[in-house]
Amino acid sequence: MDPTLDPPLPPPPRRIHHRASPTRRRDHYQNNHNHHYRLTATATARSRCDDRSSQPSSDPAFFSSDDVPGSGGLENYTAGSAAGAGAGAGAATHTAHQHHHHASGAGGLAGTRKRRYRGTWWGEKMMSSGGHQPQGQEGAKRNKRVDWREKRLVDSGVWMGSDDSLAGGFLGSDASWGEEVWGQFVGEGEGKGEGVDGKGIGIGIGIGIGRRGEEGERMFDEPREHQIARAIVNDCLERGDDSVDLSGGNLRSIPSGLLRPLQHLTKLPAIKEPPVTEDVYTSLEPFLRLFLAGNALPKLCGELFELDTLRVLSLRNNKLTEIPAAIRRLTMLQEVNLSVNRLRSLPWELLWLIRKGDLKHLTVRPNPLLQIDDGAHDPEAAVAEWHVPREELRSCVYEGPAPEQAWAPVHVATGPVRRYNAEGVLLLPPAGSSSQPVGTAMELDAPSDTDPDPDTNPQDRPCPTPLPPAASRVPSLREVALLSLTRSPSFDLLSDAELAGYPALMLRLLRDAREVRAAGGRSCSVCHRGFVLARTEWIEWWDCSTYENGLKGPRPSGEGLRPLPFRRLGCSWGCVPGAEI
Amino acid sequence: MTTPEQDQEFVTLVSGDGYEFILPRSTACISKTLRMMFDPLSKFSEALTGRCVLENISGEVLEKVCEYLCYNEKNKDQVNVPDMEIPPELCLELLMAADYLDV
Repeated sequence: MDPTLDPPLPPPPRRIHHRASPTRRRDHYQNNHNHHYRLTATATARSRCDDRSSQPSSDPAFFSSDDVPGSGGLENYTAGSAAGAGAGAGAATHTAHQHHHHASGAGGLAGTRKRRYRGTWWGEKMMSSGGHQPQGQEGAKRNKRVDWREKRLVDSGVWMGSDDSLAGGFLGSDASWGEEVWGQFVGEGEGKGEGVDGKGIGIGIGIGIGRRGEEGERMFDEPREHQIARAIVNDCLERGDDSVDLSGGNLRSIPSGLLRPLQHLTKLPAIKEPPVTEDVYTSLEPFLRLFLAGNALPKLCGELFELDTLRVLSLRNNKLTEIPAAIRRLTMLQEVNLSVNRLRSLPWELLWLIRKGDLKHLTVRPNPLLQIDDGAHDPEAAVAEWHVPREELRSCVYEGPAPEQAWAPVHVATGPVRRYNAEGVLLLPPAGSSSQPVGTAMELDAPSDTDPDPDTNPQDRPCPTPLPPAASRVPSLREVALLSLTRSPSFDLLSDAELAGYPALMLRLLRDAREVRAAGGRSCSVCHRGFVLARTEWIEWWDCSTYENGLKGPRPSGEGLRPLPFRRLGCSWGCVPGAEI
Repeated sequence: MTTPEQDQEFVTLVSGDGYEFILPRSTACISKTLRMMFDPLSKFSEALTGRCVLENISGEVLEKVCEYLCYNEKNKDQVNVPDMEIPPELCLELLMAADYLDV
């Protein structure tokens, strides 16, 4: 007995289990003798294969009530300890002595067989006695780590009766037991899989199982391109690859739950082999890049904007008509590619990212963007106020090193403000709604006292323009209610059928609110308050040519400006160009 | 706007289940519907009595409506308007009420 191989053990448990198996007593005796020698020789190398040879094919039933009070387990243990090489001798000593005692001296207990424990009461572990061998396949490869898990199982109380069947099934070789658990999980159904999860045997594996389970469910009704996209994302997550390439995947929408896990993407250290040099030390913070180019996305989902560590976003060659204002939440964005889409204007928040955020490279052309020269034909592109001389449209003239303003975005012009009433209806133009403002620009300076009649369809009548004397910034009650609704999780639970019961006007508001929610919410470009229905809207023209070429150089002196249309939305009639915050 | 003999300072809003809320006239008139109802020139009975029964609005919702009207009145000149909390379960009913009262 080698006292160095086993750590000192606390006193053994009082509770000793016995098993009635008179017919196998002799077998056990020999078996355990055999075992004793093995343990004596190697102390830790327990083999199940040897024992298996002498086993019957099945176990008798085992109940904890099989305890025999008179068995004197504690005394046995004490004797064993005393006779052994002290506490350090470990379990091999205990068990061996117990069995000597039991087999030779405990005549009154004929027909019982002890189950032997090793270790502390809180982590009692069954010794590998013959009767409890899984007749299993992987027995030979058991090692310490696996033993520890079995200890947990035995201790749990839930697994007492079935520890043989299940534990034997999945406690396999160390390297492959994850796979075996998975196999077991598939074979035995979800209940046991969850059991494995619940026991906390390795959290990593637990999560793995969960994810695979979910995937399994999704597989049934998902289009193939979604499955492929999920596979790519999962692969990136597993390999710690922070460049997620979903381009050219024929995605028509971004399935829910696809992008969210990328928030937690963690890079893996590059060091694989011992020669560690200075340059293998790299940041493990992911430089998250998402490529959605070459899909057929008509709109973006709010989930995309939860990836607050996103650095590079490519949406090239899609069918986007609008970039949601929620892009502002991606404050770490450095490079955005929006070219080859159907954008008529850009969200104001992109400019905010350029000026206040980290955005250095913005690619937006080609897109059917509004052109500042088209004001005569296209009312949306009209200009109310020029901030640089209209005839010039050139950057500053300078000599020598480029001044600051040769780099910075230049505010070229501001378009007319369109106002919407509390129902989200564009005022005065003959037709239009908040989502698709069309029609001609009208004079907005004709206040009228007649109130819009809420019963008629807003699409059918021109809205008079009741401009308030002093534009209040208080949101309307509709707005307050809608905003609260979009922020409540129960909004998603409202079915279309339920919605259909509401009046048409409300239905439109609710649909708008749902779209806003799906796109990740809006916030006022003036006061930053969250809102649902825009009350004001205007275009600001800014030249960002230095950012369009990735800040490679300043504008050349006197170069012509190429302003981009940025659409700004305000949450109240008080939020207009030049309003103080 | 109001004629002297009907220039009551306060008006009473009554919910469908009988709760009464007494508001300053100016506050209640933030709602365009109520403004028309209480317009003395309209000769509606509401305008004459200063009492308006809103059959289709429950007391709970009307309480929130009145809270909003006061909130609006209080903050109408503010630049930084604080948020008003609405319990999610009232949102839809409140939206209906807002639609009806046109606020």
